[in-house]
Amino acid sequence: MSLLEVKNLTVEFHTEEGVTRAVNNVSFSVDAGETVGLVGESGSGKSVTAYSILGLIPRPPGKITSGEILYKGQDLLKFSERELRGIRGNDISMIFQEPMTSLNPVFKVGYQIAEALMLHKGLNKTDAWNQAIKLMDQVGIPDPKRKAHAYPHEMSGGQKQRVVIAMAIACDPKLLICDEPTTALDVTIQKQVLDLISELQHLYKMGVLFITHDLAVIADIADDVIVMYKSNLVEQGKTKDIFEKAQHPYSKGLLSCRPGLEGNPKRLLTVSDFMDNSGNELKVSQERMKPFTKSYTHEEERNPVILKVDNLKTYFPIKAGFFRSTVGYVKAVDGVSFELRKGKTLGLVGESGCGKTTLGRTILRLEEPTEGTIQYGDISINELDKNDLRGIRSRLQIIFQDPYSSLNPRMTIGQILTEPMEIHGIGSNSKERLEKAEYLMGKVDLLPSHLSRYPHMFSGGQRQRIAIARALALNPEFIICDESVSALDVSVQAQVLNLLLDLQEEFDLTYIFISHDLSVVNFISDYVGVMYQGKIVEYGTADEVYHNPKMDYTKNLLSAIPKGIPKS
Amino acid sequence: MSQKETKSLWAEALQRILKDKVATLSLVIVVIYALIALLVSLGLVAGDWATAAGPENMAPNGDFWLGTDFLGRNVFKKVIYGTQVAMSVGLVSSLIAIPIGISLGAVAGYFGGIVDEAVVWFYTTFSSIPTIMLLISISFILGKGINSVYIALGLTSWVHLCRLVRGEVIKHKNRDYVQAVTAIGGGHTKKLFRHILPNIFHIVIINASLQFQVAIKSEVILSYLGLGVQDVPSWGKMIDDAKQELIQGHWWQLAGATIAMFIIVLAFNILGDALRDALDPKLKGKDA
Amino acid sequence: MQLIQYILRRLLYLIPVIFGVSFVIFILFNVVAGDPTPLLLGKNATASQVEELRHQLGLDRSLAAQYFDIVKSAFTFDFGRSWATKQLISEVIVNRAYPSLTLTVPAFVISTILSILISLVVAYYRGKGLDTFIRVLCISLMSVSSLVYILFFQWFFAFKLGWFEISGYEEGFPNFLAYTMLPGIIWIILSLGPDIRFFRTVILDEIYQDYVRTARAKGLSEITILLKHVLRNALIPVITYVVIQIPFLILGALLLESFFDIPGLGGTILQAINSSDFPVIKAFAILSSIAYIIFNLITDILYAVVDPRVKLN
Repeated sequence: MSLLEVKNLTVEFHTEEGVTRAVNNVSFSVDAGETVGLVGESGSGKSVTAYSILGLIPRPPGKITSGEILYKGQDLLKFSERELRGIRGNDISMIFQEPMTSLNPVFKVGYQIAEALMLHKGLNKTDAWNQAIKLMDQVGIPDPKRKAHAYPHEMSGGQKQRVVIAMAIACDPKLLICDEPTTALDVTIQKQVLDLISELQHLYKMGVLFITHDLAVIADIADDVIVMYKSNLVEQGKTKDIFEKAQHPYSKGLLSCRPGLEGNPKRLLTVSDFMDNSGNELKVSQERMKPFTKSYTHEEERNPVILKVDNLKTYFPIKAGFFRSTVGYVKAVDGVSFELRKGKTLGLVGESGCGKTTLGRTILRLEEPTEGTIQYGDISINELDKNDLRGIRSRLQIIFQDPYSSLNPRMTIGQILTEPMEIHGIGSNSKERLEKAEYLMGKVDLLPSHLSRYPHMFSGGQRQRIAIARALALNPEFIICDESVSALDVSVQAQVLNLLLDLQEEFDLTYIFISHDLSVVNFISDYVGVMYQGKIVEYGTADEVYHNPKMDYTKNLLSAIPKGIPKS
Repeated sequence: MSQKETKSLWAEALQRILKDKVATLSLVIVVIYALIALLVSLGLVAGDWATAAGPENMAPNGDFWLGTDFLGRNVFKKVIYGTQVAMSVGLVSSLIAIPIGISLGAVAGYFGGIVDEAVVWFYTTFSSIPTIMLLISISFILGKGINSVYIALGLTSWVHLCRLVRGEVIKHKNRDYVQAVTAIGGGHTKKLFRHILPNIFHIVIINASLQFQVAIKSEVILSYLGLGVQDVPSWGKMIDDAKQELIQGHWWQLAGATIAMFIIVLAFNILGDALRDALDPKLKGKDA
Repeated sequence: MQLIQYILRRLLYLIPVIFGVSFVIFILFNVVAGDPTPLLLGKNATASQVEELRHQLGLDRSLAAQYFDIVKSAFTFDFGRSWATKQLISEVIVNRAYPSLTLTVPAFVISTILSILISLVVAYYRGKGLDTFIRVLCISLMSVSSLVYILFFQWFFAFKLGWFEISGYEEGFPNFLAYTMLPGIIWIILSLGPDIRFFRTVILDEIYQDYVRTARAKGLSEITILLKHVLRNALIPVITYVVIQIPFLILGALLLESFFDIPGLGGTILQAINSSDFPVIKAFAILSSIAYIIFNLITDILYAVVDPRVKLN
């Protein structure tokens, strides 16, 4: 008998707008001591499946219409709310995606761990507290005695996630459900948390259901894999089998669309290379899959230097005391210098808070530099006054991270695309501008007829294409992509990356590509700068940095990337 | 996705309100009251409220649905006439408060720094004087009459809107879509008027629907204090009249004015909630 | 040290606000209001009488001097004498505060506790029949003029049924209860609607947070989650809402006091306005704005106590 057996689970959401089936007839099982990876993109139904196990989907509007969820042979769906509460956090517990919000901000972390122990194990306050300290020690929180008294906001993201894990394993659960537990974390922290989960699993012989969109993570951690697509389970099997010979075209697409550290084709394969819209399998040409090696010929090195940044510093003052005087500075960018040649891409990588976003924004003077020079062609950007700055904006553009907040929700796509042209007097009348907008829509693979629509009618990937089109509207030479694909699903991410490369080729664009994702940066960049504490600590061609890193920090980062090669 | 018609957020919001039966009914009630008020202003209805149409203090009956008052005047006609006073108090005080609230709030939130501090100081000053004292003081000093009521209500109710607008503008000015306008070379005017203000305008609408009911209720209190409208009937004056009448068992003036007021204030309340649900873009987009 | 610095800086902010409030008062009563002497002396006063009174009241001084008189009174608490009763205003305030407080404090405490309890119940049954019923009830209660409640309750419960005194006041507990009970009940009814609506929104905002899901996954019951995890977080906005009302309690309830003849501050203000007793009105405006700023500060300090994330600076 399996530890957990989900049989023919169907979950629907009943709202005013109608009924949507979030999970359709899904069956799988998890054995003790085994890790099952549940993979899928947003909206695939993977999280709803996981939440249904503990009865945590909001009801209404959620409704489990059929199926069984057998835990040790007992159907949890037949349990009363009271009986279920005895299971939650005790036999089955859960780790969530967002460590920032999944802890209660007003209680000490020690108490939040102890709470489960008092509830399920009947410990008194002192014993539970002491036990909580032991658990914190076990999950690797330094100085647990003192840290137990800390509030969530006083801890780093990684530490918070360790607290959530301690809370989850407090009552020796038999099954641990992890919902994207590392998605919000930096890559080095991700590795630590994944290692911790594996270690605890072996120690306690837990069954683990691990939900993620990231196949590379799955390869490292899971024994079995389940792939979900549009509410259905499309494939399941041993991790090694799926990675080596996936059957379903969607799984194949998902496996290929994520860039690796080497052997990437010239353009990433996407799900649509493997499967048409109605789900029929397509044949992928060998040509398309052929690994592509970037060349660094001397001829290209003769491209003119278009951007030269010298000793750039951006400091934010810290004010304190009675007269709100400046007592120090946050050195977001602290002496950065580099050169970028025309038509090339510089990738800036680093973990959160390293200053990469501020650097990008300072180059465009969206933040004011404290010191240093920014030379773009023959223009000193750092010396421009407000008016000249506005004039030159047409040549340097930026694409933001969040496609949901970067488009004005009250304007049509047509208005969004023509506005920059109006400002810079591109096109002599509105008809010409509209024609250009239509042309741009075509360039980013959207229908020109959709110009009259509003942003909320598009998906995240489509919105990011619109943002790209807006940047292109001014015929820029240089674009900063600030985490521009980070909020997108992997298959959509691949499409947008391909689009950016196509546009670069066509319009001879120069990019600065900012991302926390080392694999993506490796794929798209010619040169890479690794940032740490406001400085570029390593700089070189992508090949040099990734294959022959000189700094320990870079080596550390690189070794933390999930390799995406299943253990045998 | 492809079958969906093209709709702005405003059009979608209106559609959502119309889907909600109670909200639609409230909207209809507001429109009816507004029409009555308009007809009264044009002198087309209840113009003859002042004539003694029947015996004094008659209880409601078939001829006089709400009876007559101590001068034999038709109470129903007085209620109708009062609609005009109530709606105009709401409208004019909104017309005073909204421009002040938006402009000060927007400027403070957008430019920050010393401008912001000045505006914050200004509204802190106003909000630290209890509203009712300020209201009474202003209408007392400006003298009796409807114009003082308008101004007093207008000058006391911009603070709340100003605070809200300031907060929202601060939130929006750092959003990526506004940053994107900076990046394409747009100036302050463009950012503030074309981008930020349309995105916070729903707050103004919600606020206006609340402003109406506050104004209508305040008119009653000012009338009781003898500071309200003069020479024409208003719901406040009718309720005030009931002070003496109730003891003699004459409840119909009170009832008429109270019911008329209850319906419109309730309608504005429900409409305000429905507008909030329909216009709040928080709920939109992310689930698309 | 941080805290003391913070309090000091916030108290300093009182100064510009007092200047501002004084200015509003100055504009209203010294500039717009015009000459109060005809009101005080009647129409038949001689020119010399008017002149003397104007001198007595300081109205013959320059406008700037008149403005600074107002500012000065805010720091000395010397508001002069009432024009109508010739009493010292500071004495009037001290004497009249007690009856106001006997009415407003119990009513305020009861209505706040009641509203929080009802909102918790409503939040627990969110989306169900009881929730809808309470919401409709709240909106309905809010849609009737306060004057109507007063008129009807006084007429029905006091006059017709004779359960309470119609009006008047006696000092000392429990004597005042007979007089303050009915206005107190009206106060509670008037507060319930807006309070419950606000508290319900605040609690529901918290209920959909991620940490509530974590608490559920831990196996805690809905009631524990509501009373411990949610309430503790919801307290943060609730405190602001409640504490900021406190300075206005001392002002009493203008209409209630005047209808029920309770000799409190609210009634005093109304009398002052009716008799053009400007110094009294000015004193009240200044005192209440000082109280407002101080209680604002108290709110912020309480914030830091309740919410460990808040650092005062």
